[in-house]
Amino acid sequence: MSESYPFGRRAGLRTTFSVGMGFVIVFAIVPAVAVVVISFTDIRGLPYIPVNWVGIENYLTFFSGAKLGYNLHALWNTLVFAFSVTIFQNFIALMIAVVLSTKLRGRTFYRAVVFMPTVLGVTVIGLIWSLIFNPSAGPAATVWSWFGADSAFFGDQKIAMALVISVQVWAGLGLAVVIFLAGIQAIPEELYECASIDGASGSKKLRHITVPLLAPSFTANVLLCIVGSLQSYQLAYVLTGPNNPATQVLSLAIFTQAFGGGTSSGSVASQGYAGAISMVQFVIVGLISVAVLLYLRRQESKT
Amino acid sequence: MKTLSLCSRRVLGRRIGLVSVLVSSVLLAACSSGTSGPAATGGAPSGTLKFIVSSSDASDAGFRAVNAAFMKKYPKVKVEFSPIPNQNWAATNSSRLTAGNVDITLAGPKEVPSYVPASAQGDDARATDAGVYADLTHQAAMKRFSPSVLKATQYKGKQYVVPTGLSYYTGAYYNKKLFAKYGLTVPTTWDEFVKVCNTLKKNGVAPLGVGGKDSAGLVMLSAVQGLYPTAQDKEALNQGLWQKKVKLTDSKPVQVLDRVATMFGFAQRNFSGVAGSTIAAGFANGEYAMIPDGTWDTPTVTSAVGSKFDFGYFPIPTSNNAAENATVGGKVELTLAVPSSAKNKTAALAYLDFFTEPQNYAKFVELSGFASAEPGIATSALLKTLEGYTNTFSPAWDTVFIVNPKAGSAAQYPFNYGAVVPLGSSTPAQAAAQSQKDWAAGQ
Repeated sequence: MSESYPFGRRAGLRTTFSVGMGFVIVFAIVPAVAVVVISFTDIRGLPYIPVNWVGIENYLTFFSGAKLGYNLHALWNTLVFAFSVTIFQNFIALMIAVVLSTKLRGRTFYRAVVFMPTVLGVTVIGLIWSLIFNPSAGPAATVWSWFGADSAFFGDQKIAMALVISVQVWAGLGLAVVIFLAGIQAIPEELYECASIDGASGSKKLRHITVPLLAPSFTANVLLCIVGSLQSYQLAYVLTGPNNPATQVLSLAIFTQAFGGGTSSGSVASQGYAGAISMVQFVIVGLISVAVLLYLRRQESKT
Repeated sequence: MKTLSLCSRRVLGRRIGLVSVLVSSVLLAACSSGTSGPAATGGAPSGTLKFIVSSSDASDAGFRAVNAAFMKKYPKVKVEFSPIPNQNWAATNSSRLTAGNVDITLAGPKEVPSYVPASAQGDDARATDAGVYADLTHQAAMKRFSPSVLKATQYKGKQYVVPTGLSYYTGAYYNKKLFAKYGLTVPTTWDEFVKVCNTLKKNGVAPLGVGGKDSAGLVMLSAVQGLYPTAQDKEALNQGLWQKKVKLTDSKPVQVLDRVATMFGFAQRNFSGVAGSTIAAGFANGEYAMIPDGTWDTPTVTSAVGSKFDFGYFPIPTSNNAAENATVGGKVELTLAVPSSAKNKTAALAYLDFFTEPQNYAKFVELSGFASAEPGIATSALLKTLEGYTNTFSPAWDTVFIVNPKAGSAAQYPFNYGAVVPLGSSTPAQAAAQSQKDWAAGQ
């Protein structure tokens, strides 16, 4: 059997694998198990405070009359945010990738421009868009004023979520475009040539060649996007503040519960309850991810 | 085809286990604190003093000035000062305490009254009970403070924190030039206040500048202050809520939200999307005539306004009885604590002693904009004008109210100002009904 091993000595491979697995265990498995455990305790935000086993009390609190309304509202916002971001981001990214895969003049430059937001941190993105949508002096307010209108933008309950979704789409577009571009480049050129000979138009080539053969890229992009946005809260926090009802999402609830104590009171930082919300969120993210993955794999196998 | 086995499961498991332990050890060693010099608990201060506070431009400047003077006096000490943005404070403080990587931090242990269940006790109080913070009761620094301030910061009869000053925050800065231009005087009743606002509005000036994104809570606290002016009034309200004798839908609590809604109506256009950090600049540019804010922002406002106009500060009068508006709610500011796990306790205690020495503390007070917690320290000109309102210290509502962690989000403060239009979509009565529902559900 060992003769069939094609890469020479295995020691290097084993060591590399073990180191990688070590990192996964330390930074993913152990914290994940720890969150399960702490969700059954009353662990607080500061160290050395006695920790008590409280059973399922944190879960009962999550579903209690006092918290359920807020949590359902946050869950609804989370789903709206995640599905909107996934749909818009992938649609726009596909269109951009198709355009950038043509023999466009300066396409390397355009690719760099599209990818640029991906390297910016959340705080920088928050600052940029807060300035753009500053209601009193931002460029967006100026544009609105040309039409005799004004808006509180991120402070407007009706459009705050839509704006946060737009910013998230903008921020995540670069990576999605890169994945689609890689997928498009892997499609054999002959298929397009054959289609051209058969007289297929550009839109028909997109519909019958590009989109079906991009199925693996769709799977990667949709999964990355939906899992990421189901867990995302940073942009909502930075752009609209921690208490805006229009943009309350489950992850923000976890953050404020875990680290929401005030400067001097530290009164409500209940990490045990935050752990329970995390577990509920994990189940939701897991179920949605598996369902989406199964659906996309089935679509892939059809092509 | 046979599947190739790289090595047996047992061997692989051992390798993974070994590597995990190694990786953990290396990383934990890297993450742990560096040396703080000698872990001295006596003798002359030396080594690194790790000091964290929640950040504010003015107080940061005050601390930096004291730090520089301290290092000059104790050249063997290096103060590693880390101002932490407010939103990151809780997480940073927790991790630094856990790692034993801080010598001076902030804490605010507070006893809960007997009518409040122990489950509502704050983390700092629990941590103090668990011995996280050193007892500073017998430190010489404590003798320099006003007894009333020390009493306000005691926990179970002991002193675990060093106060840095007092701030008042149920009032508003006002533009004296605009007031003079429109023949306005400082209002002392709610009706007068509304009249002033209407006059300004009629003349095309936004009466109030509010940072709706993150600072609208100050408007709510101002509304509470006039309607519940004394410490006893607020304690009675807190007790009434916890003992279900007061409902948030009663006329007076709803009146708080009515006042909030009215003030929101006088705020600058689209204020709900504006960050609090931009308000001082708008005030300096004459975009609005008044800004509900804390006296901690005096250095920022002074710097923004420069010589453009004179400004003053008055308690927002939310009662129609002028006598009830004669106080301005405040709090003891950033309270410094020394963790029991501090590696350089000698330097930490020396720093606190140095900080509270009158000449150093005076410098801090001057730069931070805080009112002095020590007797005999000169206070700023603006704070001097408030002496009539602050002779009897009236704690602001947020320092009296005990948060119910089991209540819903609408009862967090518990006046539900965030639900009032335009921050939310409710009328004051609807917002009050939501908060009462959430409050009752948590009891």
